[in-house]
Formats: sequence, structure tokens, C-alpha cells
Amino acid sequence: MFEWLFRGMKKSLKNTRTKNPAAYGSRSQTESRETSSELDQNNTVLKEIFDHCDVLVVHEFSLGNIDSIRSMLVYLGPLVDQDMLQKNLMGSLLNVNEVPKNNISDWLISRIIPSGEARKENIWERIANDIAAGMVALFINGENFVILLPVMEDLKRQISQPVTETTARGSQSAFNEDIRTNIALLQKRLPTTRLALKNFKIGELSKTEISMIYLKGYVKQELLEEIEERLNRIKIDGIPESGYLEEFIQDNPWSVFSAIDSTERPDRLAGHILEGHVGLLINNTPFALILPMTLVSQIQSPEDYSNRYWFSSFIRLLRWGALLFSALLPSFYISVISYHQELIPLPLLLSIAVSRERIPFPGFLEALIMELTFEILREAGVRIPKSFGQTISIVGAIVIGQAAVMAGLVSPIMVIVVALTAIASYTIPSSSLANSVRILRFPFMIAAAFMGLFGMIVGVSIISYHLCSLRSFGVPYLSPLAPLSYGDLKDTLIRAPAWKMNLRPRLVGGLEPQRQHKNLKPGPSDNRTKIIQRRIRGK
Amino acid sequence: MLDNGRISSIQLSMLLFMTEAPTAILFPPSIIAEQAGPDAWISVLVPISLYGFIVALICIALARRYPKQVFTEYLPDIVGWLPGKLLALVYTLVFIHIASFILAECSLFIRTAFLRETPSLPVVMIILIAVVYGVFLGIEVIARHNELVFPLFILSMFLLIVLVANNIDLNNLRPVLAKGFIPVLSGSYQTAIFRGEIFILLMLFPYLNQKTEAHKSVMTVMIMMMIFATTIIFVTIGVFGPLVTSQLTFPYYSLARYISLAKILEQMELYLVIFWMAGIIVKLAIFLHSACIAAASTFNFRNYRMTIIPIAIISTVVCEALYSTNYLNFINFFKNIWPLYGLSFELIVPGIVLLVAIIRRKGLTSSAQTKS
Repeated sequence: MFEWLFRGMKKSLKNTRTKNPAAYGSRSQTESRETSSELDQNNTVLKEIFDHCDVLVVHEFSLGNIDSIRSMLVYLGPLVDQDMLQKNLMGSLLNVNEVPKNNISDWLISRIIPSGEARKENIWERIANDIAAGMVALFINGENFVILLPVMEDLKRQISQPVTETTARGSQSAFNEDIRTNIALLQKRLPTTRLALKNFKIGELSKTEISMIYLKGYVKQELLEEIEERLNRIKIDGIPESGYLEEFIQDNPWSVFSAIDSTERPDRLAGHILEGHVGLLINNTPFALILPMTLVSQIQSPEDYSNRYWFSSFIRLLRWGALLFSALLPSFYISVISYHQELIPLPLLLSIAVSRERIPFPGFLEALIMELTFEILREAGVRIPKSFGQTISIVGAIVIGQAAVMAGLVSPIMVIVVALTAIASYTIPSSSLANSVRILRFPFMIAAAFMGLFGMIVGVSIISYHLCSLRSFGVPYLSPLAPLSYGDLKDTLIRAPAWKMNLRPRLVGGLEPQRQHKNLKPGPSDNRTKIIQRRIRGK
Repeated sequence: MLDNGRISSIQLSMLLFMTEAPTAILFPPSIIAEQAGPDAWISVLVPISLYGFIVALICIALARRYPKQVFTEYLPDIVGWLPGKLLALVYTLVFIHIASFILAECSLFIRTAFLRETPSLPVVMIILIAVVYGVFLGIEVIARHNELVFPLFILSMFLLIVLVANNIDLNNLRPVLAKGFIPVLSGSYQTAIFRGEIFILLMLFPYLNQKTEAHKSVMTVMIMMMIFATTIIFVTIGVFGPLVTSQLTFPYYSLARYISLAKILEQMELYLVIFWMAGIIVKLAIFLHSACIAAASTFNFRNYRMTIIPIAIISTVVCEALYSTNYLNFINFFKNIWPLYGLSFELIVPGIVLLVAIIRRKGLTSSAQTKS
């Protein structure tokens, strides 16, 4: 009906978009050329390419003691492991006595250079990129090819404990910034040939390495193709962090909820990969992405599986309650205070009325002030240097809690509500879900201020409709709950005993449904029961 | 098909239950109690359920002839282009009318339970925000949302019945059939139409992904409704007696207010009404969705979503102008017009259309249906 209205807008948008397609990573003409066999000519090209780069080291030497050939090693000083370079590479290169007449580079790779990853290259663009990435280039006079070999400095930190996803029981190692370490951590947990690793490089300038990890045959081919297509579609200058990538490959770009989850725990990622999810490891960040992701998975914590299932089920239910609490408690308080006083038992109502007597603000404003104050405190808590950490707890507890009540700005019960809400939101294992809920609290509060409980129900219905419409790579976001699949309910609101969960989630791991054998419930084996029965009969 | 959503037979059952249950417990109990007295539960159990089954069977028989189209799409094929289109237009209006009628019920109830001083218009408009959003997202999303609402709704009703059960006085239900079957029938006449709302199946059938399970899922719904409605009216009359029940505006709400357990669990009615509200939002969404699909298919629109806003506005206006400001008009419509009106659009018109389809051999024959 209104298409004519948008048509013009779309056109003008298109025009602005396509004006400058290569602006994000322009490259010069020289780089697509090939290397020449003249060392001096190569040297000038190098100088041209690395014009502004003062850390470029050009180390000229002569190869071979008899009939020596002029050669040079080119690398970026800070990126290269000097020790290894001097001892191993230079040592073996300078020990060469006789050099064959032709095919020097092949001979060097196969006989002299102590590295399995050395290769030949003759395109300037690739050579320059590899030097920029920390490889060492060996130019030889009279050779068309350049030998590239990795002698990179190990710039990674130790494997440490997870910072954001801590558990009391379970693995205590977390991913770090180095993608190779992360892959190793994962491969250690799943040492199988079925573990597939597919590498991508995204970012015209940052060339961020991304590894797609999944179990071969457990993930639908269409899903893999879809992920690859979405990854290859990204044309960007650089990927700073996994959250950035997340926004580019999401199904629901406008939604508050993120249908992709991130984790820094290798055991969590390995668990999800075993279920049939796909993991994306991104270089330079300890956070890996898991997809497709469902709300139910975001409520699960790896610890649920290491604790006894009765306790885990209890904690699960508690967590679902906390999820509702952190989204709805302030708005419930507002609607009860402003509209439905009859819901409060009389003695409590009296004490609330007394405590609110001095408060100049209506319930909504009071709640809004306290919630915003708390959000500021929380944000400050994240930013503040650790040595000032004490300050914030004193300011938070005394100034904002105690003094605000004493000064008559807020009622004590409001402080309780805010504190409870805040604590509740920390029980959600997934930080992206916790953040979504944190934001949603405010619209709910507004709805409650206007229409009380009725407004809240309408708000909750809207959010529920929204959640039901979300998909994550073809899997409905609320999946075992809506659409309902009975078999998968064992691991949602509660956690069934491990020997009961024989099947993978249907929508994610449907290709290989069987996770474990049936009848794994521990107990006397058939053989033993027979023996026992025989004994009893004998007696 | 205008909405390419797909729903499973369980989702269809839940949807159909939700189109019936929320309003079936709102006004009907007092109307039935007025006519049938202590035998109201027999009236719900036998004649009303019978009517429901007949409507459901006719609708399934008709819908299975055109498994990939909604009612308003295949009407022109059965009865000819012009009469078909006219009838489709009439049905569009009927759906809009029913939607606005539900809105009026809902607004009246909310203003009794939640917001006693709020005028009707803002209530109607705010509830429509949620409903319109649901309709915009399509039938599949409504069905999934309903999968979350349905268990909570059932749970709230179960709680209600359990918590007032100690107040049931079986003497209120005696004597059984003292005046014969006539009062039972006259009580069912006015409220059977609520059970007949299952005729919305005509607009939902094509989304069902396994057509062979239609009978099973619809019959499940009818049996569930039979049990559910009978229990509710049984409990209501058991607690209040037929005379008081017939005087109550919202017997369900009064029942919820009656909950008092050891002086701790009091004022439970709002918590229970919350789930009723969630249910009515689903019900409204289903009717509004059907109205939009009907309008779009009647006027050959390619996208039903552009009819949502106009239809939402129309139903708001109808609701405001006719019912929510004029309670007498509302009750009058309810007691005198709605039975005949509903009967004709739920039973008679689909029945005649089915007959015509059988005589003119339109759509799939029964042998072709079993194959597909």
C-alpha cells in the first residue's frame, strides 16, 4: 500500500551505499606485481611497499661459502623471534657450503631450512602481507621465488581461569587471545578426526583468523553453508572482537536478544559442539561464539552437569525464577504500589505506607531513580581500577543505600527491590541474555507505571511474541519450549539425570540423534542380578 | 496462501482451545445458570458439547476439501464468484465484529478487575498493541506463543478449582433435572455459540502440517473444552448456588475472589486474571489474524499484513461505539442477537456451503483426501 512511499527512499539509500565500494581497504597498484630475479630491484620494491615502516629489517648476506650468492632476509623486527632466527635459521643458512646452480629455493626448502611451514611465493601482495603478519622472507639473487617461513614470536599469555563465567566445580581453564591455543584446548577435549576445522580470514586490514569448528556429520550441511555464506559476505576493514562479528551474522539484527552466545570456557564450547552446535573461534579474543543458540541454552551452566541432578534442577528452576525476577520485579513493585494495593497483606501494606510517607516521588519515579543509580554503580564497578574497588562498595552501600533512605529520597523497600533485581540478574549464566533483560526492565517499568499489572501483561505478551518469532540459524530461539518437543524438555526447566538424556536436542543435533546408549542407569548388571537371584534361591 | 506459517496438530489443538476457553468462562456461566438453574452443568455437558461437535465436524469436512486454502479463498470456487466474494466479505466483517466483541468483553473485564477508573479506549488500544504485533508476526508465532500461554492458563484454572473446592456445596446442585430437559436446552441455546467459535478452524486448517491428524486434534479440543467448561460451571454453581450465579457479571472473577486459604492465600484473583489476560490476547490475535487473512483474500491482496492496522482501527471503533460504552447494548446483543447470529455463521452457512460443495463436486473428494 505504501510501497510507493518507500521506493524513492530505497533508491537514494542504494546510491549512497554503492558509491565507494573499496573504501574500507584500498591497495596500491604495485602489490599485484610479481617478484623479479634481481635482488636490487626487489629491494627497491620492498622499500616502496614498506615506505613508512621503520621496523623493517633487511639483512643482506651471502649464501654458500663457495660461489656465494647474494641473498637477503626481510622481516619486521618486533614480530620475529630473534633467538630462533639467529640460532636456527641463520645458523643453517650460513653453514651452507655449496649451492646448486638451479632451483635454489626448492633445494633450500627441502634440505636446509629447519621448518615444515616454509613455502615459495612470487606475488608481491602476498609476500608483503605475510611479512606484515610476522613471517620472514628470504630473497635470493637470480631466483624468481621468495621463500616465506614463520619465525614468529610467541605473544600469548598463559591459560588462565575464566573471568566472566566462573564455576565452583568443573574445568578451570579459559580461552585466551591466541587462536592456536584455543584450538588446541578444544582439540584436547575432542581428540577425534570428526572434529572439523575450517579457517576464514575476515577483515581487509586486520585479516582476523576465524575458525569454524563442528563435528563432521553432526551438523546439517545447509547450516554450514549458511554460516560460510554469512561469514564470506562480510567485507570490512577489521574485526576487533567477537561481538562485532556476531552483529554481522545475526538472524535478527534489530532484536534486543542475541541469538548467538559467546563463551570463554572451552568445556562449554566442547559441550555445545558435542550437541551439534557450531563454534566460531576468533583470533585475538578469548570469547568464542556458539551458534545456533537458544534461550534455554543460555540458562544452562556447565556446572549443571557436574552437580547432582536434583540440585541442578533446583538451581535451574531458581535461575528461571531469577530471570523473571530481574526483568519484572521493579515493574511489579510499581504496579502494586500504584494500582493494586490490595495485593499486599495488610500489615505489610501499613509498613510500606509508613515508609513511603516521607517520599516525595511516585512509585515509578522512585524505582526509576534507584534502578538508574544502580546501573551507574554497576557500570562504574566494571570501569573502575581494581585499587579503587573499595570506594565503590562504600559509596554504593552507604551513600546510595543507607543515606538515600535516611534522606527520604527512596523507601527502604525500594532498596530491597533494586538489590534483589540486581542480584537476580547475576544468576543468568549468559551475559548477553542478562544484558537484554537488564534493558527490558525499563520498558516494563514504564508499562507498569501507565497501566499497572495489565500493562505488564501486555508488555510480557509482546516480548513473548517477539521471542517466539526469533530464530537462530533456522532454529527457533525458544526451541524446546515453543515449538514444543517433549524429548528435549529433559534439559530445560530441570536437568534430568545424565543416564536419561540419551538423545541430542532434536533441532540442533537431529542428524545423529543418539548421544549415548540406552539403559545406562547404574545398577547391578544383568549377569550379577542373576547370580544374586541364584544365591537367594539357593539359600 | 497468504501466511506461509506451519503449525503442528498439537499447536492447532492448543490454539483452538484458546479460542474457546477464555470467553467461555466469562459470561456464559451466569446466563446458563439463569435458565437452567442447578442443571447448568448438564446443559454444558450435553447439548452445548453436541453443538460444538457438529460445528467441528462440518468445518473439518469442508476444510479438508481445500487443504491448501482458507475458507474465504475457496468460497468463490464453491458458490460462484459473485456470491462467493460477497459471502467472503460478510465473513470478513463477521470476524472483525467478533474481534471487536471480544475486545469489549476484555475491556469490560479488565476495568472490573484491574483498572477501575480507566476509560475503555486506552485499555482497548493497549491490548491491541500486543495483538497487532502478534498478528503481524504470523500464525506460526501466535501458535508458539500460545504454547507458552496454554500450560499457564490450564495451571491457573486448575489452581482456581483446587483452591475453591472446599467451598463447594453439593446441595446447590440439587435437584437434578427437576424441571425436565426444557430449561437445560434453553440455557444451552444462548451460550452454545461460544463453543461454536471452533468454526475459526476454517481459517486455520491450511496451516496444519499434517492434515490427517485434523480430526484427532479437533476432537481432543472438543473433549477438553467439554471437561473444562463443565468443571468450571459445576464449581461455580457448587460454590454460589444457581441464583447467585445468575446475578453475577463475571462468575469466574467472583470465584477467584472467593479463594481464601488459611487467611494467607487471599486476593489471589489478580494473579489468576493475569493468565486469563494472556489467554485473551491469544484469542484476539487468532480472530484478528483470521479477519486480516479474510480481508486480504477477499480483495486479492498479496500481503495480509497491510490490512492489520485498518482492521485493528475498525474493530476499536466498533467496540467503542457499540459495546464498551453501552453495557445494556452489550448484554442485549449477547442474549438476544448473538445466539441467532452465531448459529447462522458457525453452523448454517458452513453447512450449506458444504452441501453445495458436495452436490457440485467441488474440491477434493473424500477418496482424494485420504490420499493427500
